[in-house]
Amino acid sequence: MAGLSRRRFLQGIAGLGAGVLSGCGGVPLRSGGKAHVVVVGGGFGGATAAKYLRLLDANIQVTLIEPKAKYITCPGSNWLFAGLANLDQLTVDYQDLQDRYGVKLLVDRISSLDAAQRQLRLAGGQSVTYDRLIMSPGIDFRWDAMAGYDQAAAEQFPHAWQAGPQTLLLARQLQAMPDGGVVLIAVPADPYRCPPGPYERASMMAYWLKQHKPRSKILILDAKRSFSKQALFEAGWTKHYGYGTTNSLIEWLSLADNPLLQLDKQNRVLTSEFGDRFRGDVLNIIPPQTAAQIALQHGLADATGWCPVRPLTGQSLFDEFIHVIGDAAHYAPIPKSAFAANSEAKACALAVTSLINQTAIAEAHWLNTCYSLIAPDHGISVAGVYKLDAANAIAPVKGAGGVSARTDAQVAATEADYTRAVYRSLIADTFG
Amino acid sequence: MKRICYVSAALLASALNTMAYAEIDARAIAFNCRNCHAESSLDAKSSIPSLKSLSAQQIQQALLDFKYDKKPATLMPRLAKAYSDAELAAVAKFLSRN
Repeated sequence: MAGLSRRRFLQGIAGLGAGVLSGCGGVPLRSGGKAHVVVVGGGFGGATAAKYLRLLDANIQVTLIEPKAKYITCPGSNWLFAGLANLDQLTVDYQDLQDRYGVKLLVDRISSLDAAQRQLRLAGGQSVTYDRLIMSPGIDFRWDAMAGYDQAAAEQFPHAWQAGPQTLLLARQLQAMPDGGVVLIAVPADPYRCPPGPYERASMMAYWLKQHKPRSKILILDAKRSFSKQALFEAGWTKHYGYGTTNSLIEWLSLADNPLLQLDKQNRVLTSEFGDRFRGDVLNIIPPQTAAQIALQHGLADATGWCPVRPLTGQSLFDEFIHVIGDAAHYAPIPKSAFAANSEAKACALAVTSLINQTAIAEAHWLNTCYSLIAPDHGISVAGVYKLDAANAIAPVKGAGGVSARTDAQVAATEADYTRAVYRSLIADTFG
Repeated sequence: MKRICYVSAALLASALNTMAYAEIDARAIAFNCRNCHAESSLDAKSSIPSLKSLSAQQIQQALLDFKYDKKPATLMPRLAKAYSDAELAAVAKFLSRN
């Protein structure tokens, strides 16, 4: 099975370690004979990178540093609002990465990074040195974007944009809302984690409200003029939730020229620049985002708040021994998704093994596929295939990718089935 | 001195990189197939087939059929169109062996 396949695979790539830099004697590429790659962050980017590094070269020592012993996936977390999943079903651990692939796990936080010494200090007191560091720390929120909305306010008005207690809190608020109540979903401008996520969330909430509180309304207040898979979402909302009628469960409003500036916690009101006031019973405020604090603190981000990289290798523009992948990194036009983070991690793992073994770096290929559920039997998808163009920038391959071509009930049901199957495969490929 | 070596390593890697483009590294493409077509068979009831039981020839034919719209599917025609026939052949060969 997997063991045999791994052995064959490793045999296939054995003997690629011929050094092209023998003239540079004394370069400490390998500490104690084996190269040590440290991966920070155990989400879809980090876990995939750790696993594939070990698959590609069993001679590389890999340490994964992640503060949580278990991880709750953002993909699938919107299903909670429809009653289609619970948090236990979305929880994964790192046992397989340790047992099957020999990844060393440290459940700890980084307290400091000394890039010159290539050394990390952990909150638990331990020091870890690396030959190469792969950072996959995910996102953080910009708490300065809306007056009145800060970390404390998020305990009352959840963003639920990192799966876990926030997701449960929002689901409970939805369940406790009176029939006829209003849910506000405030959506930030691009780029942010999971571009179609807010619209899948509205769909899953609408599915539940339709059964339990059908007089209610979800109002999406969007900082954008358009959104991912918009035509497919709107067709689905029309079919299932009365979109476009006065009784619609979902309304979408672009506030691209009239941004939301203030939260009045007392009255549950969001106020826009032009003074429009939106009152809700449940407020799901998804703030604008940046790369995680750890990336900002260590100078890996630029003025955009995201980490610029050389796309072929994922190397930070600011430190050639640090690679950044996943949502924290700037891989545009590849969107920030779990699937994309997994794909970026594989390209990065290939490049890192080549850099360590001083072999040629292969052409990079990235893929993103994103399924969303509009109803339990109605799925839609968007796909993108990406390569480097002549200017060494990431570009979508022309003529490929795009959204679901057909939207009849049979295709919608097939894509709903694939939504769940791809979730399970992505978990198995990343953590299993 | 160390720093100079690393810089030259980067330059060499980038020079080698151009050479490497002449040859297809199927891994870079094929690894992404596993996101949907799980490598492990834990999910026996999945409607997305594992690729392990298929021959290189079967996978190659399917990929070409998707690319040239001879075989209808929801997603694969959108993906297969991104790759040359030679890349699809290399991917099929890799997937059947791994």
